[in-house]
Amino acid sequence: MKAMRLPPHVMLLLPAVILLAAVILFPLLLSLWSSFTPFRLTRPDSVWQFVGLRNYTRLAGDADFWVAFGRTVLLLTLALNLEMLFGLGLALLVERASRGQRVLRTILMFPMMFSPVLVGFQFKFMFNDNVGLVNNALQSLGLTDQAIPWLIDGKLAFIAILTAEIWSSTAVFAIFILAGLMAMPRDPLEAARVDGCTPWQTFRYVTWPFLMPFAFIAMTIRSLDVARAYDIITIMTDGGPAGRTEVLWTLIARTAYSDARMGIANAMAYVAILLSIAFTAIFFRQLAKARAQVAADW
Amino acid sequence: MDRNASARARKLTSRWALNLALFVAMAIICLPGFWIVLNSLRPTVEIMAKPPIWIPRELNFDAYVAMFSGVGQGGIPVLEYFRNSLIISVTSTIIALAIGMAGGYAFARYRFAYKSSWFLGFMLTRTVPGIALSLPLFFIYARLGIIDTHLGMILVYVALNVPFTIWLIDGFFRQVPRDLSEAAQIDGCTRWQAFWRVEFPLARPGIASAGIFAFLTSWNEFALASQLTRSTGSKTLPVGLLDYTAEFTIDWRGMCALAVVMIIPALLLTYAVQKHLVSGLTSGAIKG
Amino acid sequence: MANLTFDALEKSYGGYHAVKGIDLDVRDGEFVALVGPSGCGKSTTLRMIAGLEEISGGEIRIADKRVNDLPPRDRNISMVFQSYALYPHMTVRENMGFTLKIAGCSKAEIDEAALNAARVLEIEPLLDRRPAQLSGGQRQRVAMGRAIVRDPDVFLFDEPLSNLDAKLRGQMRTEIKRLHARLGTTIVYVTHDQVEAMTLADRIVIMKEGRIEQVGTPDQVFNHPATQFVAGFIGSPPMNMVPAKVAGGALWFEDGTELPLPAAFEELSDGHEVIFGLRPDDIYPEGHGLDAGTGDIVNLQLTVDLSEPLGNETLLFIRFAGAEWTARMLNPRNVARGERLNFRIDMARVHLFDAATGCSLGRQ
Repeated sequence: MKAMRLPPHVMLLLPAVILLAAVILFPLLLSLWSSFTPFRLTRPDSVWQFVGLRNYTRLAGDADFWVAFGRTVLLLTLALNLEMLFGLGLALLVERASRGQRVLRTILMFPMMFSPVLVGFQFKFMFNDNVGLVNNALQSLGLTDQAIPWLIDGKLAFIAILTAEIWSSTAVFAIFILAGLMAMPRDPLEAARVDGCTPWQTFRYVTWPFLMPFAFIAMTIRSLDVARAYDIITIMTDGGPAGRTEVLWTLIARTAYSDARMGIANAMAYVAILLSIAFTAIFFRQLAKARAQVAADW
Repeated sequence: MDRNASARARKLTSRWALNLALFVAMAIICLPGFWIVLNSLRPTVEIMAKPPIWIPRELNFDAYVAMFSGVGQGGIPVLEYFRNSLIISVTSTIIALAIGMAGGYAFARYRFAYKSSWFLGFMLTRTVPGIALSLPLFFIYARLGIIDTHLGMILVYVALNVPFTIWLIDGFFRQVPRDLSEAAQIDGCTRWQAFWRVEFPLARPGIASAGIFAFLTSWNEFALASQLTRSTGSKTLPVGLLDYTAEFTIDWRGMCALAVVMIIPALLLTYAVQKHLVSGLTSGAIKG
Repeated sequence: MANLTFDALEKSYGGYHAVKGIDLDVRDGEFVALVGPSGCGKSTTLRMIAGLEEISGGEIRIADKRVNDLPPRDRNISMVFQSYALYPHMTVRENMGFTLKIAGCSKAEIDEAALNAARVLEIEPLLDRRPAQLSGGQRQRVAMGRAIVRDPDVFLFDEPLSNLDAKLRGQMRTEIKRLHARLGTTIVYVTHDQVEAMTLADRIVIMKEGRIEQVGTPDQVFNHPATQFVAGFIGSPPMNMVPAKVAGGALWFEDGTELPLPAAFEELSDGHEVIFGLRPDDIYPEGHGLDAGTGDIVNLQLTVDLSEPLGNETLLFIRFAGAEWTARMLNPRNVARGERLNFRIDMARVHLFDAATGCSLGRQ
C-alpha cells in the first residue's frame, strides 16, 4: 500500500500541473497545430487542412509583420532599459530621503495598482491633441500654439506609448531595487568609504553587485507580462492610425478577430510566445547567476 | 576651515538637488492619477474648454451618480460589469491560492529532481501573451460552450495566477524556519497538523498578499477578457471601460469616473499588502 | 524514561555517506554527549533518533522497541533545537503547552503543566510573552520548558547553547546539568564544544566522518584517548603532537632530538613511526606544575617564545624538537620573551599514537 502512494511533492504539484496543462499547454498545442492550417473562423472545417509551413513562409515575407515585430522588440528593449534606469534612480533617491520614507514608498507603488487599461486610458486622455493635459500645458506655457498630434503621428505616438509604459512599470524596478538597498549590509559600504572610494566607486563596486539580483527579480517579473503593453496600446491607438503603432500583439488581435484569419494569427502568436519566453528565460538565467554570485560574496 | 566649509556647502547643495529631483519624480508619478480624479469631478464643458481652465470652478459627483443609477452614462451597465469582475476575480483568486499553496509548499520544503527546471517551466507558462493564448482558448471555449461565461474566465485566470502565486508562496514558506515544523512534529503533530498549526499561521500574511496580487491581476486583466467575453453577463470592468472609447464621441468625464471606481479597490488592497509582497518576492534573492 | 540503542546505524544522502554504521547503548537516565567537528554526522544521528531523517540502514530502539519507521510524534522524545524553534505566533505558555494541546488535554491540565515547567526553569513572569520579546537565555529556557512538558522517554539537545554568549552559556550549562539531576531522563546532547561535552555528560561519544572514534567517560576520553583525533579534540589548549620514531629504546624526533621511551611503551619495536602526544599540563617550568612526582621526569632547558598570562595560569609557547609546544605554568610569575627556563616533562603521561593509523599505542 505504502509504496503505491505518490511522493508528497508530486501530490502537491499535481493540481497545478494538471490545470496548467489543460488551460495553457493544451491550447498552445492546438494553437501550434492551427498555425499549420489555413483556419478561418468563418470556415471551421479548414482547421483540418494541413498546409505545412505556408503560414510561416508567408509571414517571413510579410513586411507589415516584420515592421510590427521590429517595433515590438524596440519598444520592449527601450522600455525595459529605461524602466531599469529610472527605477534605480528613484530607488536611490528615496533611500537617501531622510524623512517620510513610508509615504514615499507607498507613492512609488502607485502606478503598479493601475490596470494597464487604465494606464492606456489615462495617457490617451493626457496626450489627446485637443483636451489633453500635455497640449494644454504646452500651449499655456506658450511653447507651442498648435495642437500637437501626439497619438496620430507615428513617431510621437510611439513616444507617448513608451511614456505610458514606463510610467506604469518603473515602479516595479524602483520597489525591488529599494528593497535591495534596504536589505544591504552597512559594513561593506562603510568599509568602502574608509578605504577611500568615491561615491561612484562605492556604488559601482559595492552597491550595484549586491543590488543585481533584486534588479533581475524585477526584470523577470516584468518580462513575465511584457505583453501587458497590448492593453495600453489597444486603448491608446489600437495599433493605428493605419498601422503606424502596430505591434505584434495588436496585429495578432486584428488578424484573428477582425480578419478572422486564425491560422496565420496563430503563427504570429507563436512568434510572440517565443519572443516572451526568450525574454523571460534570459532574465531567469541572469537572476540565477546573480544570486549565486551574491551568495558567494556575502 | 576652507576645505571644511566648501565641503559643507557642496553637501548642502547636493542635498537640495536630490530633494528637488525626488519631488519632481513623485509629482510625475502622482500627476496622471490626480488628473483623472480631478476630471471625474468636473463638468464636461470645463474639460473641453479652450483655452484650458486650470483651476476648477465647479466640482460635483454627477458622473458617479449617473454611473451607479442603474444603467450608466451612454447606456453602459457599470454595475453589471462590477459584479462580473468581483465574482470572477474572487473565485479565481481562491482557487489559485489553494493550488498555489500546495505548489509553493512543495517547492519550499521538498527536494526533488529537476526542481529549478520545473519552477522555470511554471513561470514560462505565465509569459504566454494573453492575446496569443486567447486564440486557441476562443476556439476551445466556443466548442465547450463556456465562452462568454464566468466559468471560462475563472478557469483561465486561475491558470494565469497559479505560477506567480507559487513563486510568492514558495518565498513565504521559505521564510518560516524548517525547525518549527520539525519541533511541531516532535511535539506530537502529524505533518498535516504541523502545517496548519505552525507553518500556515506564520506564512499567512504572505499568503494573503499573494492572494491580493492574484486578485488584482484578474481584476485588471484585459487582453483575454476582451476576446473571451461578449455580453453584459460576463464582461469585466476593463472591457467595459473600452465601451466608452468605442463610442464616437468620448465621454471623458464618465470614463474618468469609471477609472476611479476601478482603481479604488486596487489602491486599498495594494496598500494593505505592499510590505509582504516585496519581502516575499525578494526572500530568495540572497539565500538563493 | 528509557534506554536507547543504535545498531549499525547508517545514513546516506544520495551519494554522500553521512553516518557509517554506529553502535551504541545509552542506558536509562544516562546523559550522553555526541561531540565532533562539523560534518561528523552527530546532528544527523540526533535527527534520526528524532525521526526527522529517514534511517538508511541499521536500527534505533527506544525502550527496546524498534522505532525506525515511526513518525516523530510516536517516539515520545522531545528536542531542544539550536535555533530553539519556538513558535513565534504563540505565547510562552502556548509554546510549552502545545504538545498537550495536540494530545487533546484539557485547558486546566495544559496550564498546570506549563506552569510547573515554568517554575522549574524560573520563567513564570514570562508566561504571557511572545518569543520575540525574550532574550536569548530566556528563549533557551522556554525551549527546555517545552521539552519538559512533553515528559519524554528521551531528551534530545541539538547544540542548544551555541547561540548564547560565553557567560550565559556557562550559566545554562549548569542549568541543564541540574535539570538532568532533577528529572533523571535519558539525554542525548549534540555539541561541537568539547567543554560542554566534558562538563555535562556521563559518557562522551566522539565522532568523526560518520564514525565513532571513542565512547567513554570524560575521564577516559581525556586521560586515555583512543586515537590521535580524540586526543586532539578533547582538552584545551590541545595536546602537543609531534612525529617521532622509536629506535634503540628511545624516541627520536625529526630534528634529531632524543627522549627516553616511556616505560609503558617499551615493547615497541625499532623503526616504529609514532606521534608523540603530551598535554600542556605535563610540560611545565620547574616549580610551576602539578609535580605529581612519578619519578619519570625529563628536565630540559628551553627558551620561551611567547607567553599568554591568564591570571591563574600562564600558557608558554616554546620551540622544542623542531615543533612549537604549549606548556602550562601554574602559580605563574612574569616570564620575559626569550627567557630560558628549566622545563620538566612527565614521561609517565606521554601518549603515543601509531603514525599510520592514529590509534593509541598505550593500554586502554
